[in-house]
Amino acid sequence: MPTSALHVARTGLEAQDKRMRVIANNLANIGTAGFKRDRVDFATLAYQENRIAGQQSTNQTAFATGLNLGTGVQVMGTTSIQSQGTLNQTGNTLDVALDGPGFFQVEIPPNGQIGYTRAGNFTLSAQGNLVTSQGFQLNPPIQVPQGARSIQIAPDGTVSAQQDGQAAPIQLGQLQVANFINPAGLQAIGDNFLIETAASGPADVGLAGTFGRGNIRQGMLEGSNVNVVEELVEMIEAQRAYEINSRMVSAVDEMLRNANQTL
Amino acid sequence: MDRLIYIALTGMDAAMNRQRMTANNLANANTPGFRQEVFSVTPSTIKDPATDMRSLEARAPARGWVRNTDMSTGSVNPTGQPLDIAVKGEALIAFQGPDGGEVYSRRGDLRVAPSGVLENGEGLPVMGETGVPITVPAGFAINIAQDGTVLGRDPAAPDLPAAPIDRIKLASAEGSPLAKGIDSFLKVPGGGVLPNDPTATVTPGALEQSNVNTSATLVEMIEAQRAFEMRARIIQTAGELDESSSSLLSLR
Repeated sequence: MPTSALHVARTGLEAQDKRMRVIANNLANIGTAGFKRDRVDFATLAYQENRIAGQQSTNQTAFATGLNLGTGVQVMGTTSIQSQGTLNQTGNTLDVALDGPGFFQVEIPPNGQIGYTRAGNFTLSAQGNLVTSQGFQLNPPIQVPQGARSIQIAPDGTVSAQQDGQAAPIQLGQLQVANFINPAGLQAIGDNFLIETAASGPADVGLAGTFGRGNIRQGMLEGSNVNVVEELVEMIEAQRAYEINSRMVSAVDEMLRNANQTL
Repeated sequence: MDRLIYIALTGMDAAMNRQRMTANNLANANTPGFRQEVFSVTPSTIKDPATDMRSLEARAPARGWVRNTDMSTGSVNPTGQPLDIAVKGEALIAFQGPDGGEVYSRRGDLRVAPSGVLENGEGLPVMGETGVPITVPAGFAINIAQDGTVLGRDPAAPDLPAAPIDRIKLASAEGSPLAKGIDSFLKVPGGGVLPNDPTATVTPGALEQSNVNTSATLVEMIEAQRAFEMRARIIQTAGELDESSSSLLSLR
């Protein structure tokens, strides 16, 4: 296949294009609470043709086997980088942030599937339930009765409130935190929600601050962990790599045109 | 017609193969730890042994091979990811290849698979010094020390210091043959493993990029392109010579 250099360069163009999409998505979500940036994993595609010609090598050279030509590059997938975003003080009573690993659990309608999120910008529904900005209920549900004042959320997730005529605060429930062996394996389904996959492993649900789970901080929100400078550098890199690969396409194209015209 | 066109054809073929290799190097310019390939073209001459030293061989078909892998170090970029490692010096990280044998790579973007196995971005399990892939116990938070030791912190005992799980096998390729196989991984030809290098160290939180020098590779690309065109021109000239010699002998 004499034109396969074209196809090799094409794989390079496609991979850089996918990378650009991921970078664009990271930048677009820079203001999304609890968003985790994705990193693209490139991998070399398999080689073709194989003639054994192994020889003694020095440290600087390793002898490849005969004429084996690479077929390019592929995007293996994306890894979501789970580093902590910055915690911003909002002063809002129902804003909670996780300081450390873990996720809040939300019931996603219509079938009550559990979605995991680190965006803790909760509000109260008309029925007094603690819900996400989409109006989805937390799991386990937290109900705030009529007339409750000054809701307190402790670092271990205990939710309590003051009621008129009572000195002691009443306990309304406890927020639970889910942790995963491999949180990077969770699948994003949009709206800040992630769902469990075979790659993430099963959820390990428990109290905040135990078994490696993070603590809950009331009145704070976790921002995205996207670093603008880093993304822009990546963007320039991807752009240049794309240009170089497209230059390769035109070079091979010229070679073939030349052969067509000359021979 | 002279054999000239066949000589030129071998050269065209070698130039196109060189271009394919260059395209592959460029396509992998952003693949972490990628080691670029080196092309070499050798003339294969047939000489008369009796006149070996004095004969001038005018015809030497070219044979182009991907002959070497350039093992020089790529640039190291800090990423801040605790499980990214860049190997210092010339040691190689040992992985379990797709066929179960040991393969070597400088690619250190590590992560914990759902099974708990430590693997790199290509999905290859990392070999430990104990000779088996490193498995992280469920729920353990891990970090990697400078000597390649994987330290795990038991979530059930948060007060205890992190305990070593295993050390990543960092192999020395000093004096051993090494070849890039058809699956794109470096391995010992004919099977076998490289010895462990206890002195090798890594930089955690950094990633080694490919060692493809894009500007040099672009120059190579233009070279291959022009060489191809020159050989096409030789074939054209040979055709013209052939025509003129036939017209000399034409009975008109």
